[in-house]
Amino acid sequence: MNRILLTAAVAALGTSAAAQELQLYNWGDYTSPEMIEKFEAETGIDVTITDYDSNDTALAKVRAGGHGFDLVVPSANYVQIWVEQGLIQELDLARLPNHANIATEWVDVAWDPGRTHTVPWQWGSTGVAVNTSAYSGDINTSDIFLDPPPELQGKINVVPEMNDIINLAIMHEGGEPCTEDLELLRRVRDLLMAAKPHWITMDYDSEAKLSANDVMAAATWNGPTMRARLNNPPVAYGYPREGYPMWMDSVALLTDAQNVDEAYQFMDFIMAPENAAMISNYARYGNGIAGSDAFMDEEMKTAPEIVIPEEHRAAGVFLPTCPASATEIYSQIWTELQG
Amino acid sequence: MAERAFSAVRLPGFSTIATLVFVVLYLPIATLVVFSFNASNSMSSWGGLSLHWYREAWANEAVQEAAVRSLVLATLAAIISTAVATLAALGTTRQGRFRGRTTIYAIINQPLMLPEIVTAVALLIVFGAVRGATGYQGLGYLVLAHSAFCIPFAYLPIRARLEGMDRTLETAAADLYATPVQAFRRVTLPLLAPGIAAGAMLAFITSLDDVIITEFVKSAGQDTLPTYMLGQFRRTLTPEVNAISTALLALTLVLLTAFFLITRKRG
Repeated sequence: MNRILLTAAVAALGTSAAAQELQLYNWGDYTSPEMIEKFEAETGIDVTITDYDSNDTALAKVRAGGHGFDLVVPSANYVQIWVEQGLIQELDLARLPNHANIATEWVDVAWDPGRTHTVPWQWGSTGVAVNTSAYSGDINTSDIFLDPPPELQGKINVVPEMNDIINLAIMHEGGEPCTEDLELLRRVRDLLMAAKPHWITMDYDSEAKLSANDVMAAATWNGPTMRARLNNPPVAYGYPREGYPMWMDSVALLTDAQNVDEAYQFMDFIMAPENAAMISNYARYGNGIAGSDAFMDEEMKTAPEIVIPEEHRAAGVFLPTCPASATEIYSQIWTELQG
Repeated sequence: MAERAFSAVRLPGFSTIATLVFVVLYLPIATLVVFSFNASNSMSSWGGLSLHWYREAWANEAVQEAAVRSLVLATLAAIISTAVATLAALGTTRQGRFRGRTTIYAIINQPLMLPEIVTAVALLIVFGAVRGATGYQGLGYLVLAHSAFCIPFAYLPIRARLEGMDRTLETAAADLYATPVQAFRRVTLPLLAPGIAAGAMLAFITSLDDVIITEFVKSAGQDTLPTYMLGQFRRTLTPEVNAISTALLALTLVLLTAFFLITRKRG
């Protein structure tokens, strides 16, 4: 009981005693504990991690003010919102020598040209997973779930993420993400409605389903597909040539951060290849730092789900934040699809 | 011959429906508990019996910190809300009928009616302003918020106990020259104790289980067990979450059983 009271008292008083601290506000289960331990040991800075579960929660809490966080990790399509609202500050690149380690293709990104506001954390893609023992044809096409071959019909799981799935269908029909072309969107709806009877489930847990042969194909993310392949070798990941969505979460410095020096040290630290690799080995996604693959686990270095083969790179598209008018139409299609 | 009284139990299909309802209610929880003992890292395919995920959760520093924080928070919230609820229950049942009593019931029970997300957003805005003005980032915000929404859960069993109590005992104490304070301490309070204990347990469980308000109100580094679990959903879940859930479920069951035993015993 005394210990509990003591903990309560310490919690109530806060941790004002710590000389150097850093408050990281990040997605849950996304930060490598070993990497944090290494950072703390090297710098003497005490890192506190607080979890969030969606971009919107993070945005709402920071916008309300008085949050006490220093660093946040928004997704690519949210970065501009953070910038426009003045919630994150421009980085002083002179304080980030490791900024030069950012791989060329991750420097001039659409949401942050020249990486003046964010540094890379983790990235991934949404594509198709196929059990090649059930289907031996071409898997680099969104036909896998939008116009499935007979071998896969009725054995497909589709991840219930509206933006990913609708935009896969839009690109399948030759449109641009966020399009408001009603003629094209009518075709998208018809395509999805015609495909739906061939799907058996719309669930997040593609990994377990693919591992247990409950489904033979899925529209899903690269991370779960890699883990499914490690459990069940015939599983392969396809990059739809019609176009597939990519995502990236990046670290940004909050405008009202209290521990700015510590935050710069941390951002520079995670851009060192060996440290970026620690994040990848934990979260199982790519990180955008050149040379980090040398420090990755053996099974990740060569994973076709992580290292995008050269011929498939061009089809990857970062989804912009769609205007509300477009999202409204997509929601209607999505509601009809789930009905 | 008089017809037998209406009884739901004798309706055709009653036992089928009842069984179905129990299956729907408890099968998912049973599955969750079973897979917490899974040796493999899957939540759906069985890899043998093991305590692996309990050890994993027990050794996980983030889980330990979140668990201690959850328990501290629930204890403080239970103490504060039960004290307030006891005073409120005495005030609303021991004064006879008075104008505005129904309104007071409604106000006390407001957290039961209001959608949690509304309270959460309101608190986020208000506490955001307070944080900005004072710079205070401690556990106080969560303690305040939890105490507030736990009040009705503590209040209802205490009021039920007070209303069911024999008021002549208090009158008798007064007749025997007990001062009002003595009558309260020697007669009312001991008779009320089971209600207070029951209310405190309900408040404790309510605080322990809360997600939405906590997620919005927590300051930096204040994850509780439920918000920690919520944070796991981005990546594939492992049975570690089942193990934590099962432990929470066990704690809740113990407290509910105690609640049942206390309220069943008539003083």
